[in-house]
Amino acid sequence: MGFGQFLSSPEVKLRIVTYRDAFQDAAKVESLFGEEYERLSATILLDAKDITKLSIKENDTLILKNKSGSIVVKAVESGYEQPHPGTAYMVNSPWSNVLVPEEAGGTGVPAFKDFEVVASNSKGAKVTGIKDIV
Amino acid sequence: MDNDYYVCTGCALLCDDIGVEIEGGKLTKVHTACRKGVAFIKGCRHPLDSTVKGERTDVDLAVKEAASILKNAENPLIFGHANSSSGAQKIAIGIARRTNGYIDDTSSFCHGPTVEAIIESKLKTCTLDDVRHKADVLIFWGSDPANSHPRHMSRYSYFPRGKERQRGWEEDRTAITIDVRKSDTAEICGKNGLYQIPVKGDTEFMEALTSALSGKVPKTSYDFDKKRLLELAGILKKAKFGVIFAGLGMIYSLEDFEPLYRFMDKLNSVSSFHLIPMAGHYNMRGFNENLFKETGYINRVKFNGAEVLHGPEYSVVEALRKKEVDAALVIGADPLSSLPRSIVRYLEEIPLITIDPCQTLTSTKADVTIPCALVGVESGGAAIRMDGVEVELKPMVETDRLSDEDVMKRIMEEL
Repeated sequence: MGFGQFLSSPEVKLRIVTYRDAFQDAAKVESLFGEEYERLSATILLDAKDITKLSIKENDTLILKNKSGSIVVKAVESGYEQPHPGTAYMVNSPWSNVLVPEEAGGTGVPAFKDFEVVASNSKGAKVTGIKDIV
Repeated sequence: MDNDYYVCTGCALLCDDIGVEIEGGKLTKVHTACRKGVAFIKGCRHPLDSTVKGERTDVDLAVKEAASILKNAENPLIFGHANSSSGAQKIAIGIARRTNGYIDDTSSFCHGPTVEAIIESKLKTCTLDDVRHKADVLIFWGSDPANSHPRHMSRYSYFPRGKERQRGWEEDRTAITIDVRKSDTAEICGKNGLYQIPVKGDTEFMEALTSALSGKVPKTSYDFDKKRLLELAGILKKAKFGVIFAGLGMIYSLEDFEPLYRFMDKLNSVSSFHLIPMAGHYNMRGFNENLFKETGYINRVKFNGAEVLHGPEYSVVEALRKKEVDAALVIGADPLSSLPRSIVRYLEEIPLITIDPCQTLTSTKADVTIPCALVGVESGGAAIRMDGVEVELKPMVETDRLSDEDVMKRIMEEL
């Protein structure tokens, strides 16, 4: 156990927007329980400034949590030309759905594409597996 | 190679130009389909077994057990249907009626409101064939077909030459993306093709465009460049045959459809514009049309004797959240994958039946699992494309597994 285990990790509030990915969709069809589907799903795309704020390096893992649940995912810089600090992107998947709030205001439509989480360094924890989700 | 062409049921484009190679009754190669389509047609690595309470059994026993669960339930939920043949969907509606159950599909938390508006003629629409032959201005609003429907732009909307679009995409078509990020589709739309708006900024952008089309100065609280908005309004006005491909990015952002109706009305007073919902699953639209014919509603129905109840309280999300159903049959969907975990956890507390060609997250929690053939690959039938066109499906290979329609028929007989 390193000294870093005893230091508190900075927490950053992020607005999550979800999207679709053809390769992740294909991986799901081939094997929902496969490594490729997990690799392409359990990832968050961040603005460079948020990576700095979180005191992490690219490909480190992050804990994302809110009232609905918590997951560990891999952090990747989005590479988008337009800066987007405070907003992060996740592909739509069972991982993002752990964090989608249950409350739908009586409409029957949860906020799949727009919800908030608190992110922090997972300090080397493994990415949440599909079997841990169910 | 087999000389016939087949239909890909990998998404709601239902591409009907798929070639396959078959050796010894097994599918060895798939031609023409996209990455997703090839994966879908080749099938999953984890086919579903016939089981009752986790023990393998024959299909007859699983069907009997499924029927028994439905008979004993007071308020069963019959959910899914977006990846089911129209024949299976029609029987599912019959089962819901017979059992006084709830029936809903994935459109309930997806494109339901858009399809409903189109069926009720509140939005002008057209077919994908019209798009290929006539469309000159394409707007991908909150949609990203490069990922969701990989052959959309090459087969129908942007790149093909059509009867009235003979000069190619560079000269004959203008493609625009309105989105919160630079998607892969936005990259294809070119340097000035992306109108990037903030999250939940769609309604204001729509209203600003409506103002610009009316000759007023367009304003947004997020100070979107007025010059660019006026330029966009100019492009829309000059369109001979415009199409908006509405994605969930747009639909989820709208509190209600009034701004969209006002925008479409204004657009159609100055040019000619159509809207097509970018439905994902291959037969979601089919379920909406089939249920509408039976009940006058496209989704979110509860049968109560001769009475048909409808509303958000009968949606899958609210029914599970409020724990108002006491058993569930899931076919052609995987709610444990596609719905918030906190909502679907309740499915583990009630008797659950899953019918699918493949193991799913939902099937891992089911009391009864019944395998069915993969529609469009191992069994035929019919489905309705995202634009409302009915497409016949024929099997590519033979299988011992029952079709989804036959499984539903067997359950209905047991009831």
